[in-house]
Amino acid sequence: MRFADLLGGVVVLLFGLSVIFFSSQLPYASEYGPGPGLLPLWLGVGLAGCAIAIILKALKNPGRGEAFFKPRTRVGIQMLAMIAVAFLLLPLLGFSVGLALFTAASMRIIGKHGALLCALTFVGAAIGVHFIFGEWLSIPLPTGIVGW
Amino acid sequence: MDILQNLYMGFSISLTPTNILYCLAGAFIGQLVGVLPGIGAPTAVALLLPMTFTLNPTSAIIMFAGIYYGVAYGGTITSVLINIPGESSTVMTCLDGYQMALKGRAGAALSVAAIGSWIAGTISVVLLMCFAPALANFALRFGPPEYFGLALMSFGLLTVFGGDQPIKSIVSTLMGLFIATIGLDVVSGVPRFAFGVPQLLGGVDFIVIICGIFGITEIFNSIENPDEGDLIKQKMRLKDLFLTRAEWIASRWAIVRGGVIGFFVGLIPAGGITTASFLAYLAEKRISKHPEKFGTGVIEGVASPEAANNSASISGFAPLLALGIPGSPTTAVMLAGFMMWGIRPGPLLFQNNADLVWGLISSKFIGNLILLLMNIFLIPFFVMILRVPYTILMGFIVVFATVGAFTVSNNLFDVWMMLGFGVLGYVMTKLKYPIVPLVLGLVLGRLAENSLRQSLMLSGGSLSIFFTRPITLLFMVAAILAYLTPLIQWAMKSLRPAEVKAA
Repeated sequence: MRFADLLGGVVVLLFGLSVIFFSSQLPYASEYGPGPGLLPLWLGVGLAGCAIAIILKALKNPGRGEAFFKPRTRVGIQMLAMIAVAFLLLPLLGFSVGLALFTAASMRIIGKHGALLCALTFVGAAIGVHFIFGEWLSIPLPTGIVGW
Repeated sequence: MDILQNLYMGFSISLTPTNILYCLAGAFIGQLVGVLPGIGAPTAVALLLPMTFTLNPTSAIIMFAGIYYGVAYGGTITSVLINIPGESSTVMTCLDGYQMALKGRAGAALSVAAIGSWIAGTISVVLLMCFAPALANFALRFGPPEYFGLALMSFGLLTVFGGDQPIKSIVSTLMGLFIATIGLDVVSGVPRFAFGVPQLLGGVDFIVIICGIFGITEIFNSIENPDEGDLIKQKMRLKDLFLTRAEWIASRWAIVRGGVIGFFVGLIPAGGITTASFLAYLAEKRISKHPEKFGTGVIEGVASPEAANNSASISGFAPLLALGIPGSPTTAVMLAGFMMWGIRPGPLLFQNNADLVWGLISSKFIGNLILLLMNIFLIPFFVMILRVPYTILMGFIVVFATVGAFTVSNNLFDVWMMLGFGVLGYVMTKLKYPIVPLVLGLVLGRLAENSLRQSLMLSGGSLSIFFTRPITLLFMVAAILAYLTPLIQWAMKSLRPAEVKAA
């Protein structure tokens, strides 16, 4: 965790420096007063300052603390990958089918639920998303090859 | 006497069968929308607005008001049961409400939220009715320096109470403030941090971020720590909905305090119900005899912000009706509705459309009562969600979060951004960076920046403007004290070993 804290501090520092860099390209003051670069610049300075404090604290702290990666972190990453794939498929499958497929797939792969329950969830979720969001709430959800 | 006559007139309008039906419909839709993460009151009102072209404006505004405060009730259910705030105003409820649910007191958390909301809501309507003109005048005294002071004080309080690592809380707040600066600068029209991406020119929508950092982040956290989700299988009986004597004693004054804080914060244009719930929670924690227990499932941590958000959602109508200034995104959409119906909110509204104003005010008594009953009777049905395995729920959470993010501007870019913020929230949680300050920074970011710039314009660039106006000075002193508290605590801790050594 000490290393993760250190790394986190470095990322915040880089982020703060980037904010300072890009803010410095915006006008700091305008004809009528403060410009659009005023607040972001000081936010960047604040972020960089806090990051240095976090880095120093991490360097001083000898304890290891809680581990950053846990045994089930891999499952979380698997879930993230599944969500990303589902989002990539949304334009092709449409929201109703795409999100229903994701729900059923996550139940099967992550939750290890039975095939029948997953299949029923797929059908139920597809109909639910279409009618609740698409029809009832009139959200213009993108349709895919199925047509809804 | 005028008030009673006007109230009588209001009830004669709001108690007609048609208006009761619209109030019921609004409360039910609000409750439903509040339960669905990512679909907020502004979206619901905006979606329903075109359907009210032919409606009587009084009926329509009664329905929209029902949605507005109904959402605050409904948002509590998801905050308590799945740790996802259905609305930003119920973010604070997650902290203790979800912990109570994990301890088997979900029913008590939901009951105290409903009862607290009802009591505070009723108090707020009475206060609104009696003191609206005077309170509106007081809120009118708030200029840009006061708004900046208020925002700074909120950030400071969050730094003090945000966790055991104040620096990380500050980083989180600064990140929220930074995200709020993305997009076209409202004063100069200069694009900031958009990097040529057209979708970023309008800024990053709050709903996109909240769906990501609460919905998606929670999924990752629950997958990684499956033990935390085990208690979701607990059974819920009707008797679990009743508060114990100790719980009622602990929460009754928290409800009153939350209601009063919510009322006053709601009066401030752009004060917002989210700020009200934040401040009420922080105030409750501050005066508590056991502040260290906050976040572990104390009932005051649910009662106070819930009372505040409902109270603020009612008093928030004062700036809209009396001044024509929307106090929140939902009332901003409602303002568009007023325009659509050919009505201009402002000081003259009370004279020219007294039936609408008093019909609306009186309908809030009815709406709150409907919601109280609805919450008591519907709670067991929503609590049934607890029996569903999280591995089933998580898929649906992704569905709600995705659709919620998509509805913001109907494009997939927001959906991807929502996922990005979900990952950011997950990493931040793992590194012990609190998420709530980021949300507050985001919500108050525009207000803080605009008021800072306007103040500096007024003072010709001098910071003295923040220390020469009484109300601003009060906020600034509170903010400075809040920021200095961790430093003082650190200094005292550092001194202690030295004293021991000397001894």
